[in-house]
Amino acid sequence: MNRGNNGKQPILEARNLSKEFHTGGAFSGGTVKAVQGASFKLHRGHVVALVGESGSGKSTIVRMLARLYEPTGGDILYEGENVLEERGRRALLDYRSKVQMVFQDPFSSLNPVHRASHAVQRPLKIYAKTRGRQDLRRKLIELFELVSLTPAEEFVEKYPHQLSGGQRQRIAIARALAAEPEVILADEPVSMLDVSIRLGILNLMAELREKQGIGFLYVTHDLASARYFSDEILVMYAGFIVEQATSEELISNPKHPYTQMLLAAVPDPSRGLKTEDTDVQGEIPDLTDLGSGCPFAPRCKHVMDACHEAMPEPSPLEDGRWVRCYLYEEGAPVV
Amino acid sequence: MKAPENKPLIQIQELNVEYRSARGAVRAVENVSFELFPNEVFGLAGESGCGKTTVANAITRLLKPPAFITGGRIMFRDIDILRMSQEELRAFRWDQLSIVFQSAMNALNPVLTIGNQIIDAMQAHQSISYEQARGHAKQLLRAVGIDVQRVDSYPHQLSGGMRQRAVIAIALALNPELIIMDEPTTALDVVVQKQILQEIKSLRDQFGFSILFITHDLSLLVEISDRIGIMYAGKFVEAGPSQEIFSDPKHPYTDRLMNSFPTVHGPRRELLGIPGAPPDLIEPPAGCRFHPRCELAIEGECDRIIPPLIRIGGARDVACHLVNEAEAVT
Repeated sequence: MNRGNNGKQPILEARNLSKEFHTGGAFSGGTVKAVQGASFKLHRGHVVALVGESGSGKSTIVRMLARLYEPTGGDILYEGENVLEERGRRALLDYRSKVQMVFQDPFSSLNPVHRASHAVQRPLKIYAKTRGRQDLRRKLIELFELVSLTPAEEFVEKYPHQLSGGQRQRIAIARALAAEPEVILADEPVSMLDVSIRLGILNLMAELREKQGIGFLYVTHDLASARYFSDEILVMYAGFIVEQATSEELISNPKHPYTQMLLAAVPDPSRGLKTEDTDVQGEIPDLTDLGSGCPFAPRCKHVMDACHEAMPEPSPLEDGRWVRCYLYEEGAPVV
Repeated sequence: MKAPENKPLIQIQELNVEYRSARGAVRAVENVSFELFPNEVFGLAGESGCGKTTVANAITRLLKPPAFITGGRIMFRDIDILRMSQEELRAFRWDQLSIVFQSAMNALNPVLTIGNQIIDAMQAHQSISYEQARGHAKQLLRAVGIDVQRVDSYPHQLSGGMRQRAVIAIALALNPELIIMDEPTTALDVVVQKQILQEIKSLRDQFGFSILFITHDLSLLVEISDRIGIMYAGKFVEAGPSQEIFSDPKHPYTDRLMNSFPTVHGPRRELLGIPGAPPDLIEPPAGCRFHPRCELAIEGECDRIIPPLIRIGGARDVACHLVNEAEAVT
């Protein structure tokens, strides 16, 4: 689904976002470049998937957007305003009510000593979304019904341990919705759930985007669910966004050699596992000693001299997609 | 695909396991029967709580109270594993059977090098000198795709994928006939997962052991297994050659399960999913345990009579009244 957002102002935008972490002691310490120069736009009612392996930096981007980490460099724009320049608790609170988060593990993201109602009531109170106890109760029931936890009157009284993983994740989504957000950052929201439950959560989020126009940044390691749920996919490798395209384009016609490897690694039951396949090789690099070149170069079949020199800039391709790879620079040999 | 012409290595007959709780007995595994042949990869699929890990733990005799095996036999060739003495069991484990768990990479001893952990396993079960064992350990590491130099590395010096490979090397140390792999790649990234699965499959071709492979990831299971069994709420609902089940699922649960996960292969398709949630096994639904979630359920039949697992031609077994009536071999 491409909704023709050209020209419209994005609701959330990352510009050249970077994050470095320092590790170890004062003398032995190293620097982990977790995210480097990440830029992308998220529009209302649009779903952008951020796909990559563990350690690729996708969760770090989400945490910067959630204002849990302070970026080392770059800007975050909300409706065109630079949120990193706004100071003070009020501004942060406003931003956080508009940009909510759903975490991966619904078993640890809910407080076990409180009933389900507690988790959802807190944002209603903190962001002052209701007036009086009756209004609070009405809103609470509404939210539980919205995420299909019915009968809501029963579910609000339950403790997390009485609920299944899928039900807990629905509560986490209700909690995010309570703040009346424009954007939900969903960090691997279905990866801990059973197959038959996953689809229900993905469909619930699809419905929220459809009916309420919420924009989703969907973080996942699973290309298949990204294809199912998102309009656009960003592929991350070792801190860089290496490719951006609409979901169908990316899946049917991957350009970056890493995207091609990632797709080749997804189990294909119709084909069966071939031990002689050699399209999946190597390991992700150590982020503490990345050189200046493309981090994928040591594993890449098409590696050239330039790849070891510097990370290529994004090369625009047809249909507004782009890729960071020398193979697609102007004048590069056609592959 | 291995034709089941030879004698089975493992034969599970009418296995029943229950967990006794204050609320009553949880019937986690009920009347499960299947066979595993030499050199075969048999996949067990199903959602959390369907009993697949309980079956594995029954085979390895790792079930501890409150779990009780209340019936059935598990034959390893001509010996009933459930009747083995502690001494027989000790010899049986490792010598003939080893296990790779999901988080096995975290089960490595952090203060021993991976080489010494492989050597330990060998010296505990065989009379073999340290030098011989070390040579063998190096071979094993090479076989699972780890650089031989890593024999003196500690677990923390290896990546998650490398640690999982090391665990597989330990599992292979005594050349077992059966390896049980319970979600061996679930904690890993897809790229690493594919590398390890390829490794597992080529090791199987090389050493000729059998694998009982357990995972909730159906596409992965179909990919790696020769035959699969689909479990739902403690029972087998369908079993047969994996490609046949994938292309033509017979049981409504299998059909819906195949329709629950998106794929990157082929055109984008609409997914149906499965309504509802798996049942409480303290009071499982009468009749077919899937009937409350099944759109095709026949009133008066599926909610009353337990469908038996019936051979429906070829090597396929299905437990469903609808299929049984239409396709039972008479």
